[in-house]
Amino acid sequence: MRGKALKLPSFIFDSLLVLPLGCVLALVWANALPESYYRFSHALEFSVNDVGVVFFFALMTKQVVEATLAGGDLHPLRRAGLPIAAAAGGIIVPVIVYLAFLKQVNEPMLAQAWVVTSAIDVAACYVVGRVIFGRHPAVPFLLLLAIASDAMGLAILASANPAATIYVVSGLALVALAVVLAGVMRRKGVASFWPYLLVPGALSWCGLFLSGVHPALALVPIVPFMPHAKRDAGLFVDTAPQAQDALSRFERWWALPVQGVLFLFGLVNAGVPLHGLDAGMWAVPVATLVGRPIGILAGAEAAVAAGLHRTPRVGWKELLVIGCTASITLTVGLFFTTAVMSLGPLRLQLKTGALLTAGGAVLAFLTARLLGVGRFRAARWAGPPN
Amino acid sequence: MNRRPVAQLLAVLALIGAGWLVAAQDVRLPNAAASVKFAVIGDSGTGDRRQVQVADQMLRFHGKFPFDRVIMLGDNIYGAQGGQNFVTKFAQPYKGLLDAGVAFYATLGNHDSLDNRQYPSFHMGGERFYTHVMKNVRFFVLDTDQLDPKQLAWFEGALKASRDQWKICYFHHPLYSDGARHGSDVNLRVALEPLLVAYRVNVVFSGHDHIYERLTPQKGIQYFVAGSAGSLRRGDLRRSAMTAAGFDQDNVFLLVEILDADLSFQAVSRTGQVVDSGTLHLPAPPRADHRPGRRSDSPRAAS
Repeated sequence: MRGKALKLPSFIFDSLLVLPLGCVLALVWANALPESYYRFSHALEFSVNDVGVVFFFALMTKQVVEATLAGGDLHPLRRAGLPIAAAAGGIIVPVIVYLAFLKQVNEPMLAQAWVVTSAIDVAACYVVGRVIFGRHPAVPFLLLLAIASDAMGLAILASANPAATIYVVSGLALVALAVVLAGVMRRKGVASFWPYLLVPGALSWCGLFLSGVHPALALVPIVPFMPHAKRDAGLFVDTAPQAQDALSRFERWWALPVQGVLFLFGLVNAGVPLHGLDAGMWAVPVATLVGRPIGILAGAEAAVAAGLHRTPRVGWKELLVIGCTASITLTVGLFFTTAVMSLGPLRLQLKTGALLTAGGAVLAFLTARLLGVGRFRAARWAGPPN
Repeated sequence: MNRRPVAQLLAVLALIGAGWLVAAQDVRLPNAAASVKFAVIGDSGTGDRRQVQVADQMLRFHGKFPFDRVIMLGDNIYGAQGGQNFVTKFAQPYKGLLDAGVAFYATLGNHDSLDNRQYPSFHMGGERFYTHVMKNVRFFVLDTDQLDPKQLAWFEGALKASRDQWKICYFHHPLYSDGARHGSDVNLRVALEPLLVAYRVNVVFSGHDHIYERLTPQKGIQYFVAGSAGSLRRGDLRRSAMTAAGFDQDNVFLLVEILDADLSFQAVSRTGQVVDSGTLHLPAPPRADHRPGRRSDSPRAAS
């Protein structure tokens, strides 16, 4: 079934197949039989969002860990400087646009969810980026930027969780203990990924849950300790079947269950009413579609002005297209929404907004065509047909 | 032509009209000395002429029906928040009632700032959810903008602990509504209704839809939508089988009186017209204790 023109890595392909399927089903169900849909989604929400998604983020962390190895896009780490600076700009400007828009439409309650604007759907960005740019330095730049933005958003979520409890200290102590345990296991040469999951992974989940930080991030501090390959084959490149290190086996074992999790994630979270929502639902799409391209361009140019090296073949036109592509929040936007807002109409508005940012793909294509970037480069140079 | 009979006829008609007008502006409540009396306003904080006119009408009725409290169903301050806005969108319009010692108990709506719970005249004690009591009536005030697990656990605990004869719940977003703009919030209903039913809540007031609607009892609970005390969405009511009464042509506030097992209500428009009224009779208390269970009874309304 995979496209001949664009061969997608399994992780990206799976994310883009099962997740939208779950989202579409959720939209139809929530609008046809809302009572049964909401009963279903309320019942499954915790097990999917707080437990199942743990493994999705673990696989994402694997990509980042491997990208820091020799041959990886984050090796040496200073290569990530410009994308990180661009990501910072791509967070700051959308937040400003978001808050200004909320003031305009008189929805002050949504202001507390500003962090949702930092979400970027990495898988969707990868596909749109590859279709527009092909094999071009803009694609790893886009992916690094997306990962950096999500990481910053997760850090903000972790430090400012409204559900924080009085167990912050004991919870974080448990997480620290889990990290130490994972380190000890690594030193002792534990080669299977299961002990890492079952002991430090479980401890980390409990610690985050107790401290009020979203437990879906439980494996993020554990995955870096799992034995891994010596070199990186590239971001989101499929693991070689013969690779026997713990991290590669972890990916192969969990790839299929994570597909199920992503399907359920879409099904549980994407069911929003198509009628009756307030203007606040436009806040996230306006913030990311307008703010992200400007922010990324500003962030990158500021970093270059401060002395960082420009990424070869990534100029202001490419940065603008990257910014439009990075306005897609989808999965990560839905996740951030569930993390920052409790059940209620405000959360539904934000979720609708996260789904509407899919329009970023259209904006990216239009901008690329207008500026003659990527696959549209030759067409523009050729000029209009006589 | 003899004009005298025509003039007499016109005079009689004028008298009947005036009588009807006076009657329409009458208090149709028992107005007993020992009863619990309160008013209900929703989506009020526009600061415009309509809000002021509703407030003036409330003050007029307060002269005849001295209610002690006003419950506010959210969107208490529209637009810019804080500071002077509390004056122009609350303290000034309701000055007469505030001077008469009437206390306002608010819940938050989507257009309110979270900081509004700190405003002393809203009596929220800095909380998003809380209860308050008037004699045999306990009010449960929820924040439906965000129904977090902590709030749900608190709500269930408060309901379980309550031994009050009347349990009245109010929050901004309606679980049932025939408002075309928003309508019923099914997502919230799935989360809240089991608790309301299990712990025998009698009446629920909500706003959000800028209309007045009294619904037929749903699973034994009487629901009111009263979100037009400032903002009005004219013609927004789409009557359905669950509409018991409704009014979407002018702003409305509610007057409520509870005397032992009877709750009487009267919906009054900005111009003083009574657009709905009736009485709910509390069913005889169940023989079992307050353990949660499915209810088959419901308050009976006599309009």
